[in-house]
Amino acid sequence: MLDESLRELARWLRGSELASIMNGAWEWPIAESLHFIGLSLLMGTVGLFDLRLLGLGRRIPLSALHRLIPFGIGGFVLNMLTGICFLTAAADQYMYNPAFHLKILSMAVAGVNVMLFYTTMFKTVRTLGPGENAPLPARIIGGVSLTCWLSVIACGRLLTFYRPPAFHWCFWC
Amino acid sequence: MFAFPFILVVHAWGMGLLAGSNAAIDLRILGVARGVPLSAMARFYPVMWFGFVINAISGVLLLVGYPTKALTNPVFYLKIGCIVVGMVLMSWVRRRAFPRDPNLPGNVRAMAVLSLLVWAGAIVSGRLLAYTCKFLLVDMKC
Repeated sequence: MLDESLRELARWLRGSELASIMNGAWEWPIAESLHFIGLSLLMGTVGLFDLRLLGLGRRIPLSALHRLIPFGIGGFVLNMLTGICFLTAAADQYMYNPAFHLKILSMAVAGVNVMLFYTTMFKTVRTLGPGENAPLPARIIGGVSLTCWLSVIACGRLLTFYRPPAFHWCFWC
Repeated sequence: MFAFPFILVVHAWGMGLLAGSNAAIDLRILGVARGVPLSAMARFYPVMWFGFVINAISGVLLLVGYPTKALTNPVFYLKIGCIVVGMVLMSWVRRRAFPRDPNLPGNVRAMAVLSLLVWAGAIVSGRLLAYTCKFLLVDMKC
């Protein structure tokens, strides 16, 4: 049942207007380039913030460093949009791909983690001045965030090598 | 050849660290997050150098895997050019601009814009390498 409706969805996405645009000569490479620029923006802002939480660059006040985060969010939005383009254009290549499943899982963990950060630790963290260490729970959140995003990048890069139907070992695909 | 995908993963991590951190410093020079002392951002330089070193190593390994593919493609030289300019700017900014914070001269801002452009250029040309290849091997077309 579920499998049949997934197939149906993949077929419908493949026939869509966006899919035919993406299958032009340069649209895919351009979207990929933007996806990599977005990735770098996210790493350079959220990643550095995580490193500061973990204790690197302690002279930087966290509230000041947080001003860079909107650029990371911009990178993430860019990557959501370009990601939707890829997914639409080759839905079956992603839906049955173990690397894609792990990528989505890593993003989900990162999402829960960032919600935890803003609901529990942000108030404390933003008052920290230069030279002050983040409390242990905030450090853990920083470490989880960094790990999740590195995992998202790794899974994204591995996507091409785990395209169906080559991988029969994937029992849940 | 099992190693090939994992070399690509390392190359993507290094790219995010190096280009991303450079972008953060450039944005700071251009006026975002003014509360961050530039001199304190020097602590992120080892992170950027780490990104550079792992990408130099993984890049050489990718080049050794398919030397003809890269060396016959003009886009490859564009990518290397962007990285050289980006690395020179990265060192220049630390030596010349960091000590003058918060009264940065106008040309430092121009350098920050140039830095953003060359890192974006390195990323785009790197990605386009896969699509502009002419020869995979000496006697094999792409």
